Amino acid sequence: MSIFPVAVQSATRLLAPVLVAVATLTGCAGEPQEASPDPPPASAASSSAVAAASAGGPEDWFLERAEAVGLRFVHFNGMSGQFYFPETIPAGVALFDYDNDGDLDVYLVQGQMLGEGKTLSQALFQPVGPLPPRGRLFRNDLDVRSDGTRTLNFTDVTDASGIDARGYGMGAATGDIDNDGCIDLYLTNLGVNQLFQNRCDGTFTDVSKPSGTDRSGWGVSASFVDYDRDGWLDLYVGNYVQYDLGTDKPCTNLTGKRDYCTPAVYQAQPDTLYHNDRNGRFTDVTAKALSEPFGPALGVVSADFNNDGWPDIFVGNDTAPNLLWINQRDGTFKNTGLISGAAVSSTGKPEASMGVDAGDYDNDGDDDLVVTVLPAEGSNLFVNDGTGLFEDLSATSQLGPGSLGYSGFGTAWIDFDNDGWLDILTVNGAIQAIEGRGDDPFPYAERKLLFRNRGDGRFADVTSEAGAAFAGADVGRGAAFGDIDNDGDTDVLVGNLNGPVRLLLNNIGHRNHSVCLRLVGERRTPAAEGRDMLGARIEVIREGRPTLVRRARTDGSYASANDPRVLVGLGESTDLPTIRVRWPDGRVQQWPRVAIDRCTTLEQGPGAR
Amino acid sequence: MMKSGLVTGIGAVCVSAALAGACRSGDQAAPSVSGGRVTLKPPVGRELREVSLPDVSQMEASVRTQVLERAASVRSAIDSAGARPSELAFAYGELGKLLMAAEQVEAAESCYLNAAVLAPEDRRWPYYLGHLYRIRGPLPKSAAAFERALQLQPNDVATIVWLGEVYLAQGRAEEADSTFAKALTIEAGSVPAHFGAGRAALERKDYARAAKHLEQALAASPHATAAHYPLAMAYRGLRDLTKAEAHLRQRGDIQIHPADPLMRDLDELLQSPKAYDMRGGRALETGDFAGAADYFRKGLALEPGNASLRLRLGTALFQMGDAGGALEQFEQVVQTSPQYARGHYSLAVLLAASGRRQEAIDRFRAAVKYEPWYVQARVGLAGSLRESGRLGEALAEYEAARRMNPSSAGAALGYAMTLVRLERYQEARDILTEAMALNPADPVFPHSLARLLAAAPDSRIRDGRRALALVEGLLKSQQTLELGEALAMSLAELGQYEQAVTVQRDVIAAAGKAGLDHVARLMGDNLELYQRREPCRTPWRNGEMP
Repeated sequence: MSIFPVAVQSATRLLAPVLVAVATLTGCAGEPQEASPDPPPASAASSSAVAAASAGGPEDWFLERAEAVGLRFVHFNGMSGQFYFPETIPAGVALFDYDNDGDLDVYLVQGQMLGEGKTLSQALFQPVGPLPPRGRLFRNDLDVRSDGTRTLNFTDVTDASGIDARGYGMGAATGDIDNDGCIDLYLTNLGVNQLFQNRCDGTFTDVSKPSGTDRSGWGVSASFVDYDRDGWLDLYVGNYVQYDLGTDKPCTNLTGKRDYCTPAVYQAQPDTLYHNDRNGRFTDVTAKALSEPFGPALGVVSADFNNDGWPDIFVGNDTAPNLLWINQRDGTFKNTGLISGAAVSSTGKPEASMGVDAGDYDNDGDDDLVVTVLPAEGSNLFVNDGTGLFEDLSATSQLGPGSLGYSGFGTAWIDFDNDGWLDILTVNGAIQAIEGRGDDPFPYAERKLLFRNRGDGRFADVTSEAGAAFAGADVGRGAAFGDIDNDGDTDVLVGNLNGPVRLLLNNIGHRNHSVCLRLVGERRTPAAEGRDMLGARIEVIREGRPTLVRRARTDGSYASANDPRVLVGLGESTDLPTIRVRWPDGRVQQWPRVAIDRCTTLEQGPGAR
Repeated sequence: MMKSGLVTGIGAVCVSAALAGACRSGDQAAPSVSGGRVTLKPPVGRELREVSLPDVSQMEASVRTQVLERAASVRSAIDSAGARPSELAFAYGELGKLLMAAEQVEAAESCYLNAAVLAPEDRRWPYYLGHLYRIRGPLPKSAAAFERALQLQPNDVATIVWLGEVYLAQGRAEEADSTFAKALTIEAGSVPAHFGAGRAALERKDYARAAKHLEQALAASPHATAAHYPLAMAYRGLRDLTKAEAHLRQRGDIQIHPADPLMRDLDELLQSPKAYDMRGGRALETGDFAGAADYFRKGLALEPGNASLRLRLGTALFQMGDAGGALEQFEQVVQTSPQYARGHYSLAVLLAASGRRQEAIDRFRAAVKYEPWYVQARVGLAGSLRESGRLGEALAEYEAARRMNPSSAGAALGYAMTLVRLERYQEARDILTEAMALNPADPVFPHSLARLLAAAPDSRIRDGRRALALVEGLLKSQQTLELGEALAMSLAELGQYEQAVTVQRDVIAAAGKAGLDHVARLMGDNLELYQRREPCRTPWRNGEMP
């Protein structure tokens, strides 16, 4: 059923005519070989349609549309006034195309009643929606018509999906663990984590136990990364603290008022690295691969920070130095966090790192880091020199000063306006009660922040220009980024603690051009899909303009999973770029004149060198 | 005096009543109730802000009293027809300080702004505002407030340094640089000014100048461990990674702040257990153990049952050398909070150190009972069991610790040493080899492995060449008696007895010189072996195992 009225193509749009097919290019030394029909193309009119039907104005850069498109979900944290520490940490969200129909589906992490013997009736905020509370899967039924107009609608398919997630949910990570072309789902919990294997028929099987990834503890963010480059995705799980409800510690603020604790009250729980044994099982290789010290981990992102062709892992720790695990190419990692310059603030103080992301914000060919922190700290920008050494440019860039006063969680390098420069969006929400909120029963809400990359190393706070979706406050935690309506720009799914999910549809990016790429590996069988090649490095080579470097990934942000496709803004240029891909195994392939303003699937082929 | 007391009493009653919704606002200046909170309305005809007090109903009684007293002083000054603006400013300012100390930022801001309007020549109020905005933003307001304070007292080094810090936080490195330079012209040896100037130079990629300033800061204030990190970054910029790494190892959290009577006054203001806990924690970090103990005692006076405060008091006492006092506090902690694992752990560590092994074991067991994932406690338990000869139990605890934290260096070492005692040398070797690869900076693993390879009774694992290589590698960075012994062991294993004898003699002589005669005597046993051209087959003597 259509949610949107039939739209009229916006006069402001610069996009190319509507395209029906998406090229699947199994390149051989750069030659396109094959084009096949694929998921919906970028459209010229969706945003105006959205604008007409949403609460925001037509010129708003983002429009909040969750409820309107069927994403009816309210997170439940199970609080009963005891201030149990886990209540303040969730929840993540995930964007992934579980049914391989070309559009991003949604998974939303849910909580439970917390406390020994406590029942739902004792919750300070009653759960909303189906009971008992559990994580929910929503199928995207995006309908794109021949004139480019589209209807976005989500259907709750949890019951039929086989996903039964009744733990106290924290986060989600996505990746294809068995190379069958269907994306699998890993859920972190307070308690036992869960792995759901996609059966490629729209349903999942709980393989937590047989896979060996069902370690108990307090996992928050996780990342699927092929650290040994054997072609199979391994798994890094960032764990928070050693916690047991029975030994929850009461904490107060300075005035003696009861409030949530800080992680310093507890012992950090070591992170876990699982090696994919290629047979459905994972082996915990933490002891062999990683060394102490760990910290209370909240954000995890993998990227090749030192440009040696091997994936590294950055971990944002809460009140402890961040970790930068540099891949030693022998199955082990070395933590170079401190010498790298990305572990602590410029005064040497560990900060409360929460959300993290890696991206090439200065377009110099390497991945820089953005890290969200607490109100008195200001978000951090660590700029890579290409060798894995970072310079803290939080102040110079204006990101730090601009985010003072906010508790940042989910974040990403997002080129929201498709001008070719990565901007920053953060979702925020306090972890301790904000004073002066009158009778607000849950005084933790904060505005989101949007920073535009000026292209000169500095960011401008453009939050107030972004529209009504950025004016309101929520207790933001998870955020996933991806092109949900396949219109050629990056949308945002936001998980709010004890609040409704938000869907921010981008209403500005499609005014510029972009190239959308899905990077997939060789098919296991001719009928199967290739798996998303997380970690693939993409160079967008443009005539007379600097090359843009991006990477395929689902990790980063906070407890959330992103669109594995790579969307690269091209500004007003309609020139068709050359795409060079360095696959995770190190081989390189190139495609000339790749189409813009639609999604193209690039498949690793025998021509790769 | 009487009036003040009366007003205080009225204020307290009114505020308390207001919380119950019974206090009505009367005239313009009376407190009014909005959303269950109390608002101090400004005097009629004044361009001042309303001050909304925080909800005091859930505050610690001591803090509530403080807030109500200061609010009553403001009320009193507002009501007093004869009060001068400076008196009202003072009352607002004092309330602002208390609220700021309690992190009630918005209310504090209103108080300071009112005080600054009423007493524009008093530098305290823009100064405190500068700090308030520095912590929570916006930074331009912070800079403007400090600039105003500086106009009122131009050569105050603390204000100049804080202004420089705000410029740095704003990304205005050049202005920060010149501001810190100005501070140094007034007070050449100012550590915080050098600290700031070094970081400003670092921002500007002038690494040599950064290193110079930061070295000066550290030379004048060696305990200021926060300087090590930016100094490490300066040396990294100068491509001197050896020095950079050395400073990273010394990195700490002891910050460098200017001598700042105004902020010290504010820091000492709040009387709550948490506030005393924080102050005590800061004192502990800076090595002021007596000061820390004093803070913790004050906190305990307000909340005698606070286990965390008492535990930290015990820690401070232990650091002061008062092990008996520490033991007393820890025992009280576990009595009053029997499920507080950290209390059991700290007590266990003290008991173990004084040789009371079984009691230590009991306490470690209690710690892991109440916090099963407490790896440190489990490693401590395993260690005490090992020392008691209960090797099977020790091994099980080490295994459990390794399951919980597979990368725990302490668990790996203890596990390997227990295996050695169980004569499972191959497994011990493998564990040590693995741990050494993961902890390349920790010399205990190559040292232990070298001893095992040189002197294990099991011929299948002995490897004299590898042992020698490991010891020689370690000797490049440290020369200790234990390493000297390991060198002699390795040489003997390779059949180089003359050299082994020479080395062992040297080590014995060095031990004697150091006054360790009993150690020297024990080392004589190995010397006799080498003189008889026999290798050592005991990697560690009794009680010397790490």
